[in-house]
Amino acid sequence: MSVLRGFLWLLVFLLLGQTLVRLFHIPMPSGVVGMLLLTLWFGYRGGMNSDVVRISQPLIAMLALLIMPGVVEIFFVADQFADQWAAIITALIAGTLLSVLSSLLLMRRYLPRNVDTGHAGAVDHE
Amino acid sequence: MSDWLARLSQLPQQWFESPIAAIALTLGAYFLGIRLFKLMRRPSWCPPMLIAAIVIAAIIALLPIDIDDYNRGASWLMLLLGPATVALAVPLYQQLPQIRALWKPILMTLPLSATLAACYAVIIAAIMGAPQDVLASLAPKSVTSPIALSLAEELGGSRALLMGALLTTGVTAIFGVEWLSRVLRIRDPRLIGLALGINGHALGTVRAFEINSVAGAFASLGMSLTGAFTAVVLPLVWHLFY
Repeated sequence: MSVLRGFLWLLVFLLLGQTLVRLFHIPMPSGVVGMLLLTLWFGYRGGMNSDVVRISQPLIAMLALLIMPGVVEIFFVADQFADQWAAIITALIAGTLLSVLSSLLLMRRYLPRNVDTGHAGAVDHE
Repeated sequence: MSDWLARLSQLPQQWFESPIAAIALTLGAYFLGIRLFKLMRRPSWCPPMLIAAIVIAAIIALLPIDIDDYNRGASWLMLLLGPATVALAVPLYQQLPQIRALWKPILMTLPLSATLAACYAVIIAAIMGAPQDVLASLAPKSVTSPIALSLAEELGGSRALLMGALLTTGVTAIFGVEWLSRVLRIRDPRLIGLALGINGHALGTVRAFEINSVAGAFASLGMSLTGAFTAVVLPLVWHLFY
């Protein structure tokens, strides 16, 4: 039951986010506003609700699954952009590689080095 | 006998009248995707999600049903995107002390990175002569899908093309971050996480959680800040040009 109680918490904060978005014309999706509100709430309470922690792990692991249905559609509208594919693919791949490179360089330049380099420095690349 | 065959041929259509079949198909393809992904020794250019999407597309093409039948059912699954986004508050809160200590460099680098992520692709596509609706579908490519969908709608882009762009971007970003961080000898999980979240939205964030929880939390931070920043700035900038 605690998982369901956690789910109810998430839904309540999602609805709160939706309310704020509608009332103040915030140009952000209600999910993001709800996430920020929940973070603030945790900060206010000085800790996390264990029900929410329990439901959040499986839900976050599901994020990739939740995007998948939207991706399927691209295979069915491909003809519509038939003469644009070269531009689209080049823009996406080259653009993303360039932006990854610039953000890595920017962050390496400005992010201070980790103080506790003990375990945090080791990233396993599988 | 022929009566029975007629009933059999109508079955697929009847399955997809309720969302159950679409949800089962999505889940089944997801697990099949993960299994094939492991069999293929985890190629970074082809995530389980892409395999799964191809499997679903093939099944829809084979069965006498329409993509709209599938979308109608699968939208029930996508309803969970809202609560899943709210759930990102948990890793965000866990890393709050780290983030608070680093808010200055993050504030200096993140808006620029997020802007570049959108600009590079739009400029390349514009130079190669892509029309406005294609540009509008590419501009929000680095943003998490609930935000990107509402952005593409506002700018007049195509939903399907945007989802394809999101997938391509996520895959390329994961590959690019792993490759370039090795080339640049970057091992800091905070940095790798931020780069994955800023450039690779939810796909990058899922990948960052596989590395470790610090990378995951910074990726969710990068993803949400990029999303929030782009959601506010992109429509304003866009309407200056179009």
